[in-house]
Amino acid sequence: MNAPDRFELFLLGEGEKKVTEEIDTRTPNTSIFTFNKEDHTLANMIRARLVKNPKVEFCGYKIPHPLFATFELRLQTNGEKTPKEMLIDACQTLIRSLNTLSADWTKEYELRRMVSGGGDK
Amino acid sequence: MDFDDDMILDQGPAVTITEAGDNFVNFALQKVDLSFANSLRRVIMAEIPIMAIDLVEIEVNSSVLPDEFLCHRLGLIPLVSKNCTEDVEYTRECDCDQYCSRCSVTLSLHAKCTSNEIMKVYAADLLVDHDRANPWVGTPVITDAEGKGTVICKLRNGQELRMKCIAKKGIGKEHAKWAPVAAVGFEYDPHNKLKHTDLWFEKSIAEEWPASKHAEWEEPAQEGERFDPDAEPDKYYFEVEGVGNLAPDQIIHEGIKVLQTKLATILNALGETKEDAGERFLPDDDVDMGGRNDFDNGYTTPGYNGPSYGNHGRATPYGATPYGQSGY
Ligand SMILES: [Zn+2]
Repeated sequence: MNAPDRFELFLLGEGEKKVTEEIDTRTPNTSIFTFNKEDHTLANMIRARLVKNPKVEFCGYKIPHPLFATFELRLQTNGEKTPKEMLIDACQTLIRSLNTLSADWTKEYELRRMVSGGGDK
Repeated sequence: MDFDDDMILDQGPAVTITEAGDNFVNFALQKVDLSFANSLRRVIMAEIPIMAIDLVEIEVNSSVLPDEFLCHRLGLIPLVSKNCTEDVEYTRECDCDQYCSRCSVTLSLHAKCTSNEIMKVYAADLLVDHDRANPWVGTPVITDAEGKGTVICKLRNGQELRMKCIAKKGIGKEHAKWAPVAAVGFEYDPHNKLKHTDLWFEKSIAEEWPASKHAEWEEPAQEGERFDPDAEPDKYYFEVEGVGNLAPDQIIHEGIKVLQTKLATILNALGETKEDAGERFLPDDDVDMGGRNDFDNGYTTPGYNGPSYGNHGRATPYGATPYGQSGY
C-alpha cells in the first residue's frame, strides 16, 4: 500500500504554489512555468491556445513523471509580450470561449426541450 | 489581446444538440480545437463534484457480504447531487470536527430478514436524514418502475444490516464513484480524412470498417481528393451518458465551470507574484470573495482536518468561487 494518496492529484501540498515561473536564459523571451496539481486537461488546452498565436515562437508542455501531478509549460515569445503576459492572455481568452460555450449550450438545450416537450427517451 | 479578441468574435464554440433525454445528451461541438474538446471531455469525467457515500459506520452486518464489499457497493449508489457544487462544502474545507450537515448527508440503513423467503435490500431502503444542505441532495437516484433502486444485498432468515452511511462531496479523480457520467462518447472525423487513425484491414477498408453513426454528418473524401496535411478537426461528437446524479445539461454546465475555475486559479496565482492579473480578470458581478481580494488567503483552508484526509492545512483551489456564476 505505498501508492500515493489520490487526493495528491488535485490538492496542493503544504506551501506549494499553483504556478511558478522560471525564466530560461538559454533562449530569449522564454519562461518555463511549472503548474502543480494539474494534468493534460489544463496543459494541452493552454498549449493549443498559445501555439495558435503568431506572437508565440514556441510552446510545449511535458509531465516530468507520471506519479507526480505536475506539468511544465515552456513558452517562448517573439518579444512583443513577456511569456507571462501571453499565458495570462491565453487563460483569459479560454475563459471567454467557455463563457460563449456555456451561453450557446443553454440556448441550444432550451430549444431542444421546447421541440421535444421535456425530452423523454 | 487584439489577436485573441478577433479569434473569439468570429469563431467562438458552437453547439448542436442532436438527441437528449433524461439521462443522456448527444451533441456536436464545433469551432474549437481538439484539445479544447478533449479537455471538456476529461473534466466531465473526472472533475465535476457530486455526492457519494464515503464513510460507513457498521453496527450490525450478519449478511454473507463482508463489510468492505458492502461499503464499496454503497459508495457506488448514485445520489442526487443537483447544486451540490454551491450548496455542499467539502468535508476537508468545513469547520466541523468530522462531518456535519453542511458538508455531508447521512443515510441510515436498517434491514432484517424475519421470514424464510430471501429478502432483498434496495437503495430505496436507505433512509435520508433531512438535516442537509438542500432538500434533495444525497437522496438515492431511483429510476426503475417499482421505485426500489439497485439491490445492495440479499438477506436470509435472521440476517441483519444496521449501518450509518455518510455521503460526501468529491470528484472522480479521487474515486470513480464520484463520476457524474458512465461514459462520454467522443468522436471526430468519422471518415478518417485527417488520417489520425491508421485503419488496419485485410482487403477493403470500406467493408471491414463500417461507418460510424456520425459519418452521415460529414462529406467523405472525394475520389482522387488530395490529402491535406494542414487540415485540423473542427467538429466533435459527444455522447454524454449521465448516471442520474446530475441532469445532462447540468453536467455540461458544471464541466465548463470547473474548467473556468481552473483557469481562474492560474490567473490568480500568476497575479499574486507581480502585477495583479487576477484582479484584472475578475468580473465585476457578484463574485463573493469574502470581502477581500487577496487570493492567497481565498484559496487556503488552514483549519482542515477531514477524516478521509488525515493531513492538516492543505491549500486547495476549491475555495474559489466559480467564475462568472451569475452569467449563465
Ligand atoms: Zn462539516
